[in-house]
Amino acid sequence: MAEWVTVGTAGEVPEGDVTAFGVGDRQVAVANIDGDLHAFDDTCTHQQCSLAEGELDGTTIECPCHGSQFDVITGEAVNGPAVDPVGVFEAKEEDGQLRVLVDEE
Amino acid sequence: MTSVVIVGAGLAGATAAATLRDEGFDGQVVLIGAEPMPPYERPPLSKEYLRGESDHHFVRPPEWYAENAIDARFGSAAERVNVTDRVVELQGGERVPFDEVVVATGSRNRRFPLPGLDLPGVFDLRYAPDADAIKAAAREGSMAVLVGMGFIGAEVAASLRQLGLDVTVVEFAGTPLERVLGPQLGGAIEALHRDHGVQMFFRDAAERFEGDGRFEALLTKEGRRLEGDFAVVGVGVEPVTEVAGDGIPVDNGIPVDATLKTSVDGVWAIGDVARHHHPVFGPIRVEHFDNAMKMGEHVARNLVGTPSVFDDAHWFWSDQYDANIQMSGFATEWDDMVVRGSIEERSFSAFLLKDGQLLSTFSMNRRFDVRRSMPLIATKARPERETLADPEFDLRELHPPKE
Repeated sequence: MAEWVTVGTAGEVPEGDVTAFGVGDRQVAVANIDGDLHAFDDTCTHQQCSLAEGELDGTTIECPCHGSQFDVITGEAVNGPAVDPVGVFEAKEEDGQLRVLVDEE
Repeated sequence: MTSVVIVGAGLAGATAAATLRDEGFDGQVVLIGAEPMPPYERPPLSKEYLRGESDHHFVRPPEWYAENAIDARFGSAAERVNVTDRVVELQGGERVPFDEVVVATGSRNRRFPLPGLDLPGVFDLRYAPDADAIKAAAREGSMAVLVGMGFIGAEVAASLRQLGLDVTVVEFAGTPLERVLGPQLGGAIEALHRDHGVQMFFRDAAERFEGDGRFEALLTKEGRRLEGDFAVVGVGVEPVTEVAGDGIPVDNGIPVDATLKTSVDGVWAIGDVARHHHPVFGPIRVEHFDNAMKMGEHVARNLVGTPSVFDDAHWFWSDQYDANIQMSGFATEWDDMVVRGSIEERSFSAFLLKDGQLLSTFSMNRRFDVRRSMPLIATKARPERETLADPEFDLRELHPPKE
């Protein structure tokens, strides 16, 4: 069952930025693109690097380790070496809090 | 076009096969590779895999090939691409016909015929079983002697130190990677390894491997005798071109035009073996992961669509200890180098320029500069020295506007 989890405050992800948050056992990255929030699994499906450490260009996040690129809206691996997509989640700001809709594991 | 035969199943060849299917090509795809294992990534072999931190990373899951109707011939060596009969001749006599053929045979380790090179305990590193052999010999507290300190030698040195071995290296040049990076940046790599306890001898070379039935010591040209439990030789690679026979021209690899096509109709080459005509750098042959992958993707798209120019600015990484090393572009000579950050503190980028044009960017622990340089290198930009030297300046401000 999916539930909304508060991961931090809205100020932690300014426009154009990406930040990773711990949610249970996993790391979820939240990107702020022109004021819209997009949450996705922070762990690269290639070799488990943190995607939030990488560079955001438009809606594409580039893994800092080996250059894999993911679309932060669909989760699709748009450029290798990663093949598998990352999970994506709904995210919103509520009363200054950053909230992400994640599945309970 | 109904059939594409890919000769060589490393990263480049496997990526080409995968991209053909991704692009919707529904003809026959044959992928021929000498190694029995399905295509895997080689970079971890000197790093995470060697240290026992990761298993193999397959280019595609092993079952992917059958699921996507790839006629995969792993463990099957191609002998020759016969361009007259338009067949690939395999060892054992089988002939595989093609409409288009992609040569992706890669490179092999250079071997100088030195006495004792065949002794047990003298290794080199390219394939998965090589890494397994080194791993098995690398027990904590044992002593390794390395010959050559290019990227493979430097990464193996780092991994073996991390595993708790004593490491001694003999290198022909004056610093690690001097030929690629020049003496100042090579010196930064040397300092990194020295601080991690690697013993290095420069301007010296292997002369003879000694041992009673197994490696015991390396004798060097300068008269040193370096004892160890095993040795690893990493003195560069050479392109594997034998399959070209007399039908495909060979000149330091297989020359291809800017679309990755050879001068022979229907014959393409990608990866380490391909000497491609780059719009910025001219004819170059690149022996790195990202290039192999990108060429694999590109050739597949050129096969199914209108051929376009391969103009990737080139990029690679090397992880050594906790240092993240990256480089983009390509420079064999430069007349100016601008450094931002601190070489001593191991947080810097070095910009290599010729006549003011940015050719290549090297960084240690400042990786964003390297990737952000790529659009500048691709457009032959001439950034101001002051701009490059300013650690606070975001190179993206110099990027050409997006289409």
